[in-house]
Amino acid sequence: MNKLSLAYELHKRKLLTLLLTGVFIWSLFAVQWSTGLIHGSGLATAGQIFGAMFQPDVSADILIIALESSWITLAYAAAGMSLAIILAFFLGIWASGVLASGAKSRYFMKGTFRSVLGFMRAIHELVWAWLFVASFGLSPYAAVFALAIPYGGILGRIFADMLNDVPKEPIQALESAGASRIQCLIYGYLPNVRANILSYVMYRFECAVRSSAIMSFVGLGGLGYQIQLSLDDLQYNEVWTFLFFLIGVVVLIDLWSSQLRRRLAL
Amino acid sequence: MSNPEILDINQISKHFERKVALSSLSFSVKKGERVALIGPSGAGKTTLLNILASVIEPDEGQVFLDGEPMQEYADRKKFAKKIGIIRQQFDLVGQLPVIHNVLAGKLADWGFAKSILSLLIPQEKEAAIRSLERVGLPDKVYERTANLSGGEQQRVALARLLVQSPQIVLADEPVASLDPARAEDVLFMLTKLAAEENQTLIASLHSIDYARKYFDRLIALKDGVLFFDLEADKVTDEQLKELYQLKELVR
Ligand SMILES: Nc1ncnc2c1ncn2[C@@H]1O[C@H](COP(=O)(O)OP(=O)(O)OP(=O)(O)O)[C@@H](O)[C@H]1O
Ligand SMILES: [Mg+2]
Repeated sequence: MNKLSLAYELHKRKLLTLLLTGVFIWSLFAVQWSTGLIHGSGLATAGQIFGAMFQPDVSADILIIALESSWITLAYAAAGMSLAIILAFFLGIWASGVLASGAKSRYFMKGTFRSVLGFMRAIHELVWAWLFVASFGLSPYAAVFALAIPYGGILGRIFADMLNDVPKEPIQALESAGASRIQCLIYGYLPNVRANILSYVMYRFECAVRSSAIMSFVGLGGLGYQIQLSLDDLQYNEVWTFLFFLIGVVVLIDLWSSQLRRRLAL
Repeated sequence: MSNPEILDINQISKHFERKVALSSLSFSVKKGERVALIGPSGAGKTTLLNILASVIEPDEGQVFLDGEPMQEYADRKKFAKKIGIIRQQFDLVGQLPVIHNVLAGKLADWGFAKSILSLLIPQEKEAAIRSLERVGLPDKVYERTANLSGGEQQRVALARLLVQSPQIVLADEPVASLDPARAEDVLFMLTKLAAEENQTLIASLHSIDYARKYFDRLIALKDGVLFFDLEADKVTDEQLKELYQLKELVR
């Protein structure tokens, strides 16, 4: 009996891996590959769309629209991220339990705030966007909140996990030097996770730009909205102009983030 | 009279699950003494120091600090004025500049606002710089701590202890991860500073030579019990041999 449970403890991980692999393979069979996945006439359209990639529309008025809607997309993403960072900062610290003094209150805090974060990110930003547009119409706030809530949930969770992974020794040393919980936070935990959290925030910012573009399909202005309009008119050349702008914004953010990281690593 | 007992360890025992780490250990330490804890791996040195640092609690027995039971010092800030600890080199926050690691010794005196302000504009900077000078690192004040060598990091930890200024310094293998030259250097500094500050020093060490050279009194632990407790120059090679002997060889 004892031996059996020991064997189970040892191989628990492998069993789980096996199970998940099984589920994955089974799911491959569940898709009906032969019918309906690709339909014949679509091939010609696909040809047109990808052909247009090499001839994006560069007329002045399209470029101006692209520039404007890039700006809107970027602005929504930046505002959403700013709010997300503030949410994640506080919720993440509470969810990590590093401020709790006793084991009981730590358990309680972790449980509560991790569930809050879980709820925030369980719902996709598009769904939040629909909900907000439905409740207060096509206002920029809808886009900003729709981004901030799930992104706050994701960032907060990662932040909390990073705080929990901080090595114990320096924290213990601070405690024995007489530091309170909050002093341990600002002198030990936060400096420790700063570089990692920053690079993760930058990565999430990139994702936020893409999300913000997609979200505008709902009818909020931005690159996604323009892409949709052009698609409806079958103007694939315009579609590609907007897509290249989207790629450009993401690349710019990537450059900025690697520069920031380099400066922090010093 | 001039040397009252600052630490009185009374019949303390500690076990982890079924493993006995310390059993009915008693001894006392006078103010200003320099005590080296020696003994083979697993003897209970770290456990003892952790009990003294009130990181863990003994299962039985009591520790009296300055005549009062340890439980009287529930306030961490008050306790930090009594006892400070230095371990192996992983004690510092590597991402912070040296000066903030040193000033962390002031956190017991500082409130929240002052400690956060200090991260922007270092407060009581002179104290930090003075203690960095005393440990021989006057030119590393604003360096990122992680960029320092192991020996330099231990000196930063010493500078922090200087700023914290406790009455008793506990050191758990403070030189374990350093090469012999650095180790000797850090030990010399640790004992010298403790003497200058009139501090009581209790350090666990793996090197008998260093223990004899830099400490007044050697307390040897083996399997959680006191093996001997002698003045440094009274310890014989026979006793040391027996202390570190493996069980199999005794038979
Ligand atoms: N947290 C713990 N959980 C379980 N057992 C422990 C724990 N800490 C220490 N022990 C056990 O208690 C005994 C004493 O350990 P301790 O770390 O005090 O020895 P030490 O003298 O410091 O050894 P070393 O010289 O290797 O550092 C060891 O047998 C160890 O396995
Ligand atoms: Mg040890």
